[in-house]
Amino acid sequence: MDPAMTPLGKMLLEEITPVVMVISTPAVEETCLKNGLSFLQMLTPFCSFNNIDVPVRTASDQPYRIHKFKLRLFYGSDVKKPNLKVAEQQLKQVITDSGEKVFSELCLDVPGFNHEVASSEDRDTPSWFQFFNKELVRVASFSDHEAFDHPVACLLAVSSKDEHPISRFVDLFNTNKLPSLLKDGSMDPKILKHYLLVHDNQDGPADRASKILTEMRNTFGTSDSLLLSVNSSPDVPIKHQDNPWASQIYNVPPNQDLGCFLNIDDINEIKDLMQDLSSKHIIPNMEQKIRLLNQQVSATRKGFKNQIKNLWWRKGKEDGVDSLNGPTYNFNSIESQIRVLGDYAFMLRDYELALSNYRLISTDYKIDKAWKRYAGVQEMMGLTYFMLDQSKKEAEYCMENAFNTYLKLGLLGQQNATRCGLWWIEMLKARDLYKEAATVYFRICGEDILHSAVMLEQASYCYLLSKPSMSRKYGFHLVLSGEQYKKCDQIKHAIRTYRSALSVFRGTTWSYINDHVHFHIGQWYAALDMYDVAVKHMMEILACSHQSKTTQELFLSDFLQVVEKTGRTFEVTKLQLPVINISSLKVIFEDHRTFGSSSVATNTKEALWRSLEEDMIPSFTAAKTNWLELQSKLISKKHTLSNVCVAGEAVKVNIEFINPLQITIPVSGVTLICEYSTSTDELTSDEKELSVKTNNEVDHFRDMSSYNSSFLVSEVDFSLGGGETTMVQLSVTPKEVGTLEILGVRWKLSGTIVGFHNFELSHPKKNIVNGRRKAKRPPNEKFKFMVIKSIPKIQGSVHSLPGKAYAGDLRKLMLELKNPSEFPVKNLKMKINHPRFLIIGNQENVKLEFPGCLTKTIGSVQTGANANPNLMSETIFSFPVDTSIQGETPLSWPLWFRAAVPGDISLYMSIYYEIEDISSVIRYRTLRLHYNVQVLPSLDVSFQISPSRLRIQDFLVQLDVVNKTSSESFQVYQLSSIGQHWEISLLQPPDTIFPSQTLMAGQAISCFFTLKNSRRLSTLENNISTMPVGSDVLLVPQCSQDLVYNSNNVPLVNFHHYERLQQKALHEDLGDLNTVDFVLISRPLNNSINPGLSDPPHVMSHHACHLSTASTGPISWLVDGPQTLHHDFSASFCEINLKMHLYNSSETTAFVHIDTIDLDSSGGHINSVNALPSATPDNQVGWHDVTPVNELKVSSNAIETQPGKALLLESVSPYIWSATSSTNIHLEPMSPAEVPLQICVFSPGTYDLSNYFLNWKLPSKGLGDSDETRQHSGKCQGYKYYLTVLQSP
Amino acid sequence: MATTACFIIVSRNDIPIYEAEVGVAAKREDAAQLHQFILHAALDVVQDLAWTTSAMYLKSVDRFNELVVSVYVTAGHILYFIHTRLMLLHDSRNDDGIKSFFQEVHELYIKTLLNPLYLPGSRITSSHFDTKVRALARKYL
Repeated sequence: MDPAMTPLGKMLLEEITPVVMVISTPAVEETCLKNGLSFLQMLTPFCSFNNIDVPVRTASDQPYRIHKFKLRLFYGSDVKKPNLKVAEQQLKQVITDSGEKVFSELCLDVPGFNHEVASSEDRDTPSWFQFFNKELVRVASFSDHEAFDHPVACLLAVSSKDEHPISRFVDLFNTNKLPSLLKDGSMDPKILKHYLLVHDNQDGPADRASKILTEMRNTFGTSDSLLLSVNSSPDVPIKHQDNPWASQIYNVPPNQDLGCFLNIDDINEIKDLMQDLSSKHIIPNMEQKIRLLNQQVSATRKGFKNQIKNLWWRKGKEDGVDSLNGPTYNFNSIESQIRVLGDYAFMLRDYELALSNYRLISTDYKIDKAWKRYAGVQEMMGLTYFMLDQSKKEAEYCMENAFNTYLKLGLLGQQNATRCGLWWIEMLKARDLYKEAATVYFRICGEDILHSAVMLEQASYCYLLSKPSMSRKYGFHLVLSGEQYKKCDQIKHAIRTYRSALSVFRGTTWSYINDHVHFHIGQWYAALDMYDVAVKHMMEILACSHQSKTTQELFLSDFLQVVEKTGRTFEVTKLQLPVINISSLKVIFEDHRTFGSSSVATNTKEALWRSLEEDMIPSFTAAKTNWLELQSKLISKKHTLSNVCVAGEAVKVNIEFINPLQITIPVSGVTLICEYSTSTDELTSDEKELSVKTNNEVDHFRDMSSYNSSFLVSEVDFSLGGGETTMVQLSVTPKEVGTLEILGVRWKLSGTIVGFHNFELSHPKKNIVNGRRKAKRPPNEKFKFMVIKSIPKIQGSVHSLPGKAYAGDLRKLMLELKNPSEFPVKNLKMKINHPRFLIIGNQENVKLEFPGCLTKTIGSVQTGANANPNLMSETIFSFPVDTSIQGETPLSWPLWFRAAVPGDISLYMSIYYEIEDISSVIRYRTLRLHYNVQVLPSLDVSFQISPSRLRIQDFLVQLDVVNKTSSESFQVYQLSSIGQHWEISLLQPPDTIFPSQTLMAGQAISCFFTLKNSRRLSTLENNISTMPVGSDVLLVPQCSQDLVYNSNNVPLVNFHHYERLQQKALHEDLGDLNTVDFVLISRPLNNSINPGLSDPPHVMSHHACHLSTASTGPISWLVDGPQTLHHDFSASFCEINLKMHLYNSSETTAFVHIDTIDLDSSGGHINSVNALPSATPDNQVGWHDVTPVNELKVSSNAIETQPGKALLLESVSPYIWSATSSTNIHLEPMSPAEVPLQICVFSPGTYDLSNYFLNWKLPSKGLGDSDETRQHSGKCQGYKYYLTVLQSP
Repeated sequence: MATTACFIIVSRNDIPIYEAEVGVAAKREDAAQLHQFILHAALDVVQDLAWTTSAMYLKSVDRFNELVVSVYVTAGHILYFIHTRLMLLHDSRNDDGIKSFFQEVHELYIKTLLNPLYLPGSRITSSHFDTKVRALARKYL
């Protein structure tokens, strides 16, 4: 790549060119001003030559040609260091102007990031950047330490109107008026002079002018005197196509026509003049000077001798002047001459020559510590290297060196450092080293804030242009730049940079960055009174939960201030404060489902209700699958498309508002935004509407905010504390038939700003509790309701249902149903999910007094109807046909409640009713009631049943009652057995069990009962279909007021039924006929009731069902015989006859086989699979017969033999079974049998007669027997039976 | 102990999943955003640098005035979804300490990743992690 073609090359070719000093008289200026131009301006466009083709021969003998050349023209008064203040002022103006311009463009469109990148190639240096950079470079011009700004020629212009033109020429180049550069000796005042006579053709013919010209030629020499006649066009101004001046001059008044009196001849004349001046005078002059200087330099400095001399001489000078600038150099000092030589060579593009001279001088300056000059030379070296396109490293090193040296000089070198930096940057850019260029930009940033702002912005663009593009750095530097702009009140620029930065940061989760950018943009827009945009940006940062509290307050207060300044209530979509938890959104509406309370709708699952109501609801939905029923299909399709709600009944929306901040925010006027239309099925038009809606949401919402008469919306105000979450219920009540759509929610924050949240468009996925058909419909359909005309709605509630109850608590409740509308309803049905807890009573139960109705005396009538098992299996309760609820009078219906098990119980009740008005879309409705009851544990009741050893059909029942409550006391009142003719009686009188008659908290008691099975085979058939009857035992001493509760009474019997069903699943031994159910009735003691329970319980019942009596199988047996016996062993061994009673309690004939064992096996274990351990007394927890042993011990004085000995004897089996060792019998169902047994005893002692086995077997029911759990056979060891034989005296 | 130290864990897609100011310097109001800006900008450098070396600890990758950014890259180049950068903005020059700090925090981070309830790439909210990191910062920085 040709270095001259790079931006830097072009810049250098333009900027480092010979300077021509122009000095003109006022008359000349006057002439030019007719054209709206100064003299200098008039000449300027013709100073750059693109096709000049001049041969140049400098130090070397080989000439070369220059094609492009440029002269810089300056007025003599401008050849000095530019005034910094003025320059800054100008720069600032430029920036401000461009700011205005760019900003107004920016306001029109918001470029996206991609767009930015694409267009950044041409955007990287906006025109004002270039201008700014140029100006910065220019600020550093005309320094005395470099020679390329030194004028090489002087153009003196005098008008032909001037009097004594010759003397004017002399006067013009008067030393007094010359610039300081020439005066103070830093440059050679003897420069090439050119004398130009300017003639205005409008003033008349050129006679006088040509006269003066001859005079001039005589005075100043022919070649240096020139005539220029201008304004030769007639009075009519000319319009120039491609006005050559237009690009030169800024701030042209639009009506001014530049150069209007200059015709084509004038222009050509000027062109020729300038070309002659450069090619015939300036360039040869410069060539000559280069050659001259080169000779001088060679003579004094080149060669080994000169170098040594120079070094020596420099060393000696070391203790000389040590100012910051180093020593001053005169124009005729060798150092200055070398520099001039170098610069001239550079300007004439003999870079080799320039470089060698720069190198030469650079070391000198360094040794002299003339730092500024040194830096200047280094800078030029860098540029020369660049232009030579060799040694890139060297070039950069030189630039860096120069830059650093300038920086070291501090304020003095500031402008030069900037210029040097800019050139360096261009150099880097030319090599695509944008990243490095950016760092240089960053280093240029000096004290001046405005400069650094612009530099930082340019740096950011460099980052963007670097490969790979560093967009994050770009953003960061833009922000830095924006801050600087802000500091020097360039707010528009600041906003511009921040907005560009936003394109980088948008969408990142770097919260602080986002907040910072948005907040500042917002603030700045507000400062510019552009509140709308300000609010838009401020809104982004409202939900800044990560910020500190003070910052949050700052953000919010600023935001509110801005909003206030807008002077109106601001309406915005997606206001972030407070945050809406859209997943909490629940829409509650009542179509054919109605709810007892709103909590029912929200907290319960639709599936649960549906399964509950399954049997109750007529199934037209199922019927529509039939394709024949086209009509019904159509109707139902219309229904499926939108939800149905009833006019006059509120549709409620539950929604959660979250305050993410730590400060309290007031929220008011929270309402739903709804849309109402009278038509019911205009789907297509609705869709159209929707698409329109997306376009101008806010406007749309604004329209909606005006209240519509066809529906009512509720309004909620609340205040959210820091970090709080509030669930708000909003409602809309349609008043007329039509279509209602809920679009969103609106609220007012702090009374000034209105936020909208559209339910649909932001979150297409929504869980609506009651939405029946999800997924298939477009989501907005869920918020669309078909409003149908008013139909009756039953309101219902259950009275006096306790929130807390103790397990077993039995109560009568009242269900109250009201129908406020005038239309009657019919065909009421009801279902409850937990019949174990809640039973629907009867109409006549209303009158019953509770708990008196439970007792035997009052409720003595056996209400057989209730006990009908068919009724109880039917879970749907139908109200009597004539039941109709209408008007004010409520319908009361009794319910029985019993807290069956401890825990949190949810009771669901669904009441179905039909509407008599057939024309209605909804033909039936259901009322859903839901109650939660917390059931606390009260009494823990357990039963142990063990067979008695005394009688074969007797059982001993141990009742363990533990009071599990923490504070309550109960009175255990009554135990009833329910089952097939079970009779129960107390073993001990009640006084001994309960001396205090109460069971305190935590107390446990046990009491024992005997249970007798009075059933016989003969009665079995008769009783099997009858009601289970029971017998009752009072556990308190009988007194007059205490009554026996009838466990067969309503509702005890019903509850018992459900308990049985429930507990059936728990008990394994199904099919066992010999089970017994117990009902324990207890009463709380009134004085001990916790006042926390609103309604103290009266009666509590505890049910235990399916308690098995048969522990070893269907066969029970008993060995009957003497306990103690006297026998004279001296006479003979003793033969004892025993009897075994057997009873088969199963329904089938059992085969029983009894084995007696004489020998060893008695002491050892019996390894049989089916041997049950039931007969071993050690493990037996229940009751067992050990009386004989006790007796033995007590009355041991009569016994000589020691028990231990007897036990020893036992192990060797001191007796033998003497009768049949094996007996087989068939036992009829439910029948007893007797088997005789006989043993022989040989010596006195106590014998355990348990070494026999009883095998039983039930006939298998064949293949169809599915009852796997049931045992069909078993083997049992004999019970321990002790027999004591004494030697008779 | 460094006067200024801002530690941040950046997950894929440049989402910061953990941020902590662990320096002892009194908090300035604008420090937090400045730190974020610097760290965010340094990601550009990390992006290039991470591919040029096999080392996980990239030393100081970027600087802004007197603040230096050191980076530790987890070995997730292949498994893009766990590619994580631990970045520390600091003003001290304790290179070894910073290296140890990064290594230990990396271990902690791996433990967090192993938590089945932690979704990789989501914000680390564990207070235990936070205390551990702060303790490590006190120890090494």
